[in-house]
Amino acid sequence: MLLHSPVLVIAKKEIRDSLRNRWVIFISLIFLLLSLSVTFAGSAVVGQLSLPELDALISSLSTISVFIIPLAAMLVSYDAFVGEDESGTLLLLLSYPLSRFQILSGKLIGHGVIMSFTISFAFGLTAVLLLLFGENYDVAATLGQFSQFILTSILLAITFILLGYIVSLTATEKAKAVATVLFVWFLFVLIYDLLLLTLLVADITFVNQYIINVLIALNPTDLYRAMNLIGTDAGSGSLAILSASDWGKAALYFVMSLWVFGLMFVANFVFRRRQL
Amino acid sequence: MNTAVSARNISHNFGSSVALDDVSFEMKQGQTMALLGHNGAGKSTLIKILLGLITPTGGEIQILGRNIRKNTNRSTLKLGYLPENVSFYDKLTGEEILTYFAELKGVGKNRVCELIEEFGLGYAKDRALKTYSKGMKQRLGFAQAILCEPELLLLDEPTVGLDPVASQFLYGKIDELKRLGCAVIVCTHELSLIENNIDTALILGQGRCLASGNLSELRYESRLKTRLTSPSLAALVNDSERLASLYTDDALLLDRESKQDVVQFLTSECGLFDFALKEPGLAEIYHFHMKKCTQIGVVS
Ligand SMILES: Nc1ncnc2c1ncn2[C@@H]1O[C@H](COP(=O)(O)OP(=O)(O)O)[C@@H](O)[C@H]1O
Ligand SMILES: [Mg+2]
Repeated sequence: MLLHSPVLVIAKKEIRDSLRNRWVIFISLIFLLLSLSVTFAGSAVVGQLSLPELDALISSLSTISVFIIPLAAMLVSYDAFVGEDESGTLLLLLSYPLSRFQILSGKLIGHGVIMSFTISFAFGLTAVLLLLFGENYDVAATLGQFSQFILTSILLAITFILLGYIVSLTATEKAKAVATVLFVWFLFVLIYDLLLLTLLVADITFVNQYIINVLIALNPTDLYRAMNLIGTDAGSGSLAILSASDWGKAALYFVMSLWVFGLMFVANFVFRRRQL
Repeated sequence: MNTAVSARNISHNFGSSVALDDVSFEMKQGQTMALLGHNGAGKSTLIKILLGLITPTGGEIQILGRNIRKNTNRSTLKLGYLPENVSFYDKLTGEEILTYFAELKGVGKNRVCELIEEFGLGYAKDRALKTYSKGMKQRLGFAQAILCEPELLLLDEPTVGLDPVASQFLYGKIDELKRLGCAVIVCTHELSLIENNIDTALILGQGRCLASGNLSELRYESRLKTRLTSPSLAALVNDSERLASLYTDDALLLDRESKQDVVQFLTSECGLFDFALKEPGLAEIYHFHMKKCTQIGVVS
């Protein structure tokens, strides 16, 4: 019965559609390639197997995925509404006995599953290879760290899928949606961090830990980094301040969920107001 | 027969531009209505309003006895819809697409197979949609619209870009559905092709209703003349002042009142039996109203 609920029917179709798209496989391979090169590149330089400390590894992995995951997530999702609108199928779907929230949820589940799959595949495989070839890794600690890394990566992907939806729902043309998505990516991943780090380095007196925490909470990519760096001694330079942030881990997860629900709410609101 | 759709004084504005202005019509179950009008006349807008996709600025609509303003009633209506210029998901196969829409409507797999066969898509059902021809895509779209065996079917330009045989196939399907009691509203520009498949027509121009009714009502209202032609007409016209005054372009143009008289005159006085009468067709009626509409447009 549940399998035939419209939400899952839509999710299933999105998954199938994405799998037919070669570039989902392409994204998985890119993730895998980056993950493996970060993990094993040291060995190539030294000429023998030399693997980084777990904390340092997670730190380098998150530094790379904070760039690539938001981009991949938004490239999967930017087309979701503006594309169907251009081809007329959105109009058709809305004439069906479906609510807009059901359409939104179905797509989110579908794209969420796709991104979760690519993320788990790339980083899960890395963890397995690490345990197979590395000798100094504690199995439980490695699996624990990687599970958390994968979980936070999925949360990051979901926030950016939703940001992609909001762009898609406000755009009038596909081409404009692509441009906007790239701009959003640039803003969250590069510009915001540049400003944040400048603030941190400038060491202005009014910038206390409280303000830094708020600034971190206001950007899911910084939250993501803080989640993966907190409690580790991996942060070097200005990143150390991120890892030293006095948020508890639970609080970080809580703020991240707020982002997910907040964006879901905004996306639904924008969808309901969208003219046909 | 029960009333399928009754629309009263429908008006709709997009911002400050008027898309529909006081349009009313009524149709019964088992009838086909052609929705005619120039591009931008408001046809698609009217269809979207009937579907409940757009809430009109003003007016009342009843579909199968239910007021569609109350959104709760919508999901229990059996509606079929084919949007204009729709293109389905390129990478999915024909069968996957139809199954997707069937699942969303809660229609079983059997019906999907049945429709695929009925629309002659069986041989291509496992091929990706991007390999389909325009005609195959439209047949798939049409099959999608009738998945739930609708009581009201709304088709927005279903035959654009199809060859006449393919169009005729779809109009044939419409006739079959109509015989089962389905009410069909079809928006099209193929006036001569649908002339024999429709019961009534609604002609829109710049958002206003220019004319509506069945073919003979439309003829009557437009006061267009019947054309009488015959090979030996030219000779007769030379001898008769009366015929000469009616003669243009190798034919006698007869209005409603004089038709009977003239035909009688020809048969009894002139001994002419070898003639053909051609009533004004839908196309002529349409052009007549469009001309009027542009004239008003120029004035206002
Ligand atoms: N979403 C919209 N926003 C603004 N104007 C619109 C919108 N949809 C249609 N219109 C306008 O309403 C009028 C009627 O459009 P439409 O119903 O699509 O015409 P038709 O289907 O008869 O060609 C046109 O002038 C069109 O520009
Ligand atoms: Mg139209």
